[in-house]
Amino acid sequence: MDWIAMATGFILILMGLYGALTNRNILRMIVSFTVANTGVNLVLVAVGYMHGRTAPILDQAVPVADAARRIIDPVPQALVLTAIVIGLGITAMMLTYAYKLYEEKGTLDISKFRDLKW
Amino acid sequence: MVSPLYIIAAGLGGAFLLGLIPDKWRNTAYGITLLALAAMAWIAGEWLYAFAMQGTASVDVFTAGTQPPFAINFRIGLAEATLVLLTTMVGLHAALHMKDTLFKQGRRAMAVLLIFIMALCGIIFTRDLFNLFVFMELTVIATAGLVLLSADSRALGAGLKYLIVSQVMSMLLLIGIIFLYHATGSLNIDDMAAAQVNLLQGGAMAFFLVFIAILAELKPFPANGWGLDIYESAHPAFAAIFSTATGGAILYAADKLLQIGGDAWLPAASTVGIVTFIAANILALVQNNDRRLLGYSSVAQIGLLLTVVGQRDLLGNAYYYIAGGLLLAHAVSKAGLFWLSGLVAKRELADWAVLRSKPVMLFAFATLLALLIGLPPFPGFYAKWDLAHHLAADGRLWLLGLILFGTLVEAAYLFRWFGYVIKREAPGEQGLCWQSGKADVVFSAVIVAWLLAYLWGYLSGHGNLLHAIPLLFALAFLPLDWLPARIKNVLAIGGLLTWFYLNYPDYDPLKMIFAVVMLPGGALLLLASFQTGKRRIGFYPSAMLMFAGLALLINAQTTFDFFAAWEFLTVGSYFLILRGKHSEPHALSYLVFSLGGAFLIMAGFALAAQGTPDLPLAALSQVAAEYAPWVFAMLAIGFLTKTAAVGLHIWLPGAHAEAETDVSPMVSGILLKAGLFGLFMLLITMGKQQLYGVELTYVMLWIGALSALIGNLMAIFQEDAKRLLAYSSIGQMGYAVFGLALMNQLGWIMALMFVINHYIYKSMLFLSVGGVAKRTGTRLMYRMGGLITLMPLSFVAVLVGIIAMSGVPPLSGYGGRWVFYNAIMSSEYRLPMVILFLAGPIAFLYLFRLIHTIFLGQMKDELRKVKEAPFWIVLPQMIFVTALIGFALLPGLALRKVDAYISQFFAGDGGLHWAGLTITSPFGYWSPVQIMIVIAVIFVTLFLWLLFVNRKAQKVKQFNIVFAAERPYRPETSHFAWNFFAPYRKALGFMAVPLFERFWGAVTELLHSTADISRRVYTGNGQTYAIHLLGFVIIVYVLWMGGMKP
Repeated sequence: MDWIAMATGFILILMGLYGALTNRNILRMIVSFTVANTGVNLVLVAVGYMHGRTAPILDQAVPVADAARRIIDPVPQALVLTAIVIGLGITAMMLTYAYKLYEEKGTLDISKFRDLKW
Repeated sequence: MVSPLYIIAAGLGGAFLLGLIPDKWRNTAYGITLLALAAMAWIAGEWLYAFAMQGTASVDVFTAGTQPPFAINFRIGLAEATLVLLTTMVGLHAALHMKDTLFKQGRRAMAVLLIFIMALCGIIFTRDLFNLFVFMELTVIATAGLVLLSADSRALGAGLKYLIVSQVMSMLLLIGIIFLYHATGSLNIDDMAAAQVNLLQGGAMAFFLVFIAILAELKPFPANGWGLDIYESAHPAFAAIFSTATGGAILYAADKLLQIGGDAWLPAASTVGIVTFIAANILALVQNNDRRLLGYSSVAQIGLLLTVVGQRDLLGNAYYYIAGGLLLAHAVSKAGLFWLSGLVAKRELADWAVLRSKPVMLFAFATLLALLIGLPPFPGFYAKWDLAHHLAADGRLWLLGLILFGTLVEAAYLFRWFGYVIKREAPGEQGLCWQSGKADVVFSAVIVAWLLAYLWGYLSGHGNLLHAIPLLFALAFLPLDWLPARIKNVLAIGGLLTWFYLNYPDYDPLKMIFAVVMLPGGALLLLASFQTGKRRIGFYPSAMLMFAGLALLINAQTTFDFFAAWEFLTVGSYFLILRGKHSEPHALSYLVFSLGGAFLIMAGFALAAQGTPDLPLAALSQVAAEYAPWVFAMLAIGFLTKTAAVGLHIWLPGAHAEAETDVSPMVSGILLKAGLFGLFMLLITMGKQQLYGVELTYVMLWIGALSALIGNLMAIFQEDAKRLLAYSSIGQMGYAVFGLALMNQLGWIMALMFVINHYIYKSMLFLSVGGVAKRTGTRLMYRMGGLITLMPLSFVAVLVGIIAMSGVPPLSGYGGRWVFYNAIMSSEYRLPMVILFLAGPIAFLYLFRLIHTIFLGQMKDELRKVKEAPFWIVLPQMIFVTALIGFALLPGLALRKVDAYISQFFAGDGGLHWAGLTITSPFGYWSPVQIMIVIAVIFVTLFLWLLFVNRKAQKVKQFNIVFAAERPYRPETSHFAWNFFAPYRKALGFMAVPLFERFWGAVTELLHSTADISRRVYTGNGQTYAIHLLGFVIIVYVLWMGGMKP
């Protein structure tokens, strides 16, 4: 199971990067980056997954004494949550930029924003 | 002490508080922002004080009540406290600088600024890898927000490009982090470091991903187009933070990461760093936008620092001193320059000429540039010196060479910029958007620069340069610059003489000769400066800096002192030369050649030291045979650059000819002797050296002979009188180098005679020609003529000068020749000797031209009312005339002791025998007084006879001539003085082709066109930048991981 998640994650990353590097429309690029970010999150979760273990919630089913042997490492999941939040922030920032840029030049073609170069 | 967590808390708390207050309370919001930043800086400062002054050990701060790795921990030590203080101070000053912008944008912008600074502090403190990622993403979002503070609408595009690239970086970082966690089972940096990731399965790959993501944040070449665009378009106050605080924090993150990766990854950091350093500096050569240029320079400096980070394995304890010196120098200077750019309205480099209207700002600009380049006494100088010594001791000479090359290129474009500021037309009042608040921020950077200079001097093992009295004396002229020039001149002369008086008992006879030429000699030349009235802003600090360098050079006991003095005199003379009306390009070429030579000298000293921190100059004689010839060659080339030996001479004619009237004799008569002093020092300590079987002194002999020939040959074809004199200096220095390279006692005496003679007659000639040029308004000889009756005193000076220089009896030049003939009699090098003989008569040609075309022949109509040169310019000439005759009569006065002194280096080699007024050598005798009498008798006889035969000659009016039916299109070309030696030019012109100018011109052109072509990789397209980044990752992967496999 976990290798499927891992493989899917990497495929999503590659798809996302491909999309971001080939689409000139800024909105499409942002969507592509979101896809790639999802892939990254999937890889994170997949790396943290351990066979035959249960969710890291300590209750009657998983007594504290057994926890270390029976639960999945909670750290990667915490990381994913944080990464999702940060990803959201950056996506929002990019969308704001896209909006502003469209206001400025009336286009979303990335190759049109080349006033600064060399 | 307050926990460093409160630094984070102050930033966050301030930002949240700003979110709560009403939008209209701008003053309150701004107050909160400043208060929060000040509190953060205060806490950091307190810690820094504890670490630096009380020797406290570094402290770990735990969060969430748990030990790592189960919770995040922070660490604060000396490095962290310094960096956080730097970050918060830069943030605070940036907030002060962009007060108007922040007021316009309101509390949200201020909150983002606080978050940004807080996140940078977090990057520095944290010991948790994922926490590092979070703080880095915070800086990304905050950066994207703060970029928008700019008034430049192009910043929008730059911000988006940054976001695109940072998306790719954060993906790499996240994947790397999770796999590192997988491999090591911890997110704590110290745990990871203990786990030795390179040995774990997948560990190296995971580390690579994290490492490359951090490297990419440091804007490595070529994946840095986004950074440059931000530098160009962002608000300068923000660009200052982006360059210094972001750069410093991420560098520290890279440093922490390398603890995980271990020493195996250090070369990768160095390689990426040095490539970036060189490439960014070369690309900066063709920039004309000030902020983009500063951006390139920032990229380069961070590259240099990354290189140093990669050398931490061999730097040992010196690592923090060196890296810290370079980082703080970069940070303070770059922040100051970006802030300064906020005061300049337009964006071209030449627009900064507007700074001239505020001398204080000019001083600030010069300080910041010197700090950035690493000139003494600033921290970068100490750091580079130590770095060079460590690299050379460990045999990493290639890296040292590359660093010095990059530094030279950087100095070239920065000083070119300085030249624009001093020389180009200022754009008028509207060019300066002066706000005293912003100026204060800039000036606080300048104050910090000098404090750092003091601190680094204090910490260095070499003694503090800011304790050197001559330097302090020179710097004291800065605050005194408001005084009238004449008062400052009296002070300057007094200073030179006092220093000489205090020090002369300590000089050995050899040093005494140089000291007399440089100190009282300098005072004598300063008499000519009484001519200038008004204030003459900038002249005295520059001149006295040069003299301070010369004074320190003679007193130097260690290689460090010597090199520092060398840099002082180089920079001082550069400022001095730059004052000439048309000297901008020539001063730059002088500086570039001199600094190039200086860097060779530094490399030579570093190689000689082999790790010894403070090598005495005398210890050069004990350099291991393995390195000795290389050390000799590097030092010799360095010194020969200063004496303008052929091939390295092209800076001299312009620099000396275009300088001001009283500056030309200083830089020609005095400054050139510094090179000879260095050569003396070198030959005394190291003697003869062989490199691949070639006797290096023999090579020097050839260089001397060719310099004499080429210099003299070029001189005869000049139309410009000062240029003629300048070329003649190349020839004269050639003679001196030749004498030195003979490596016998008479050769050295001859070189010393040239030191004295050249000082006297070249100073005198430059003054008289300068005086003539001042009166006639031209330096072109074919526009003069017949001035003998109008400027008799100048004529006498030139006459005496050329008699002395040409080496005919009875003046002191003859003595020089006499010693010279004796010297070559006892030496077996025939061919260079023949060349040197050939150069003699050629010298006579240009000297004849000088007196003939200026003072004899037809007087020009427009020059009929010309007066004698001003008193203060004539006075030193007359003193020189007396001195020349005196030295001709009594050479023993100056040379006898030094002859005895030199004989210790050539035991039994046959010196001179001094008896009364007669000097005897193995080949004959020379009695100056007798010769003087004989010549006087012959002259008087001939003169009387001439008067007798000419008594019946018919006098004609000047215009009693016709042009023989020819209509001259350029009348001046029909003047006999135009192309005076045309037949010789036909015969010998091929030897005067400016091959070396063309060679160095081609090198410069090549660098510039390379830069112009390569910078086109920065297409401006955000997608292309992302592809650059991926390409960079792949290249480093292939090169590095390919080589890492066991």
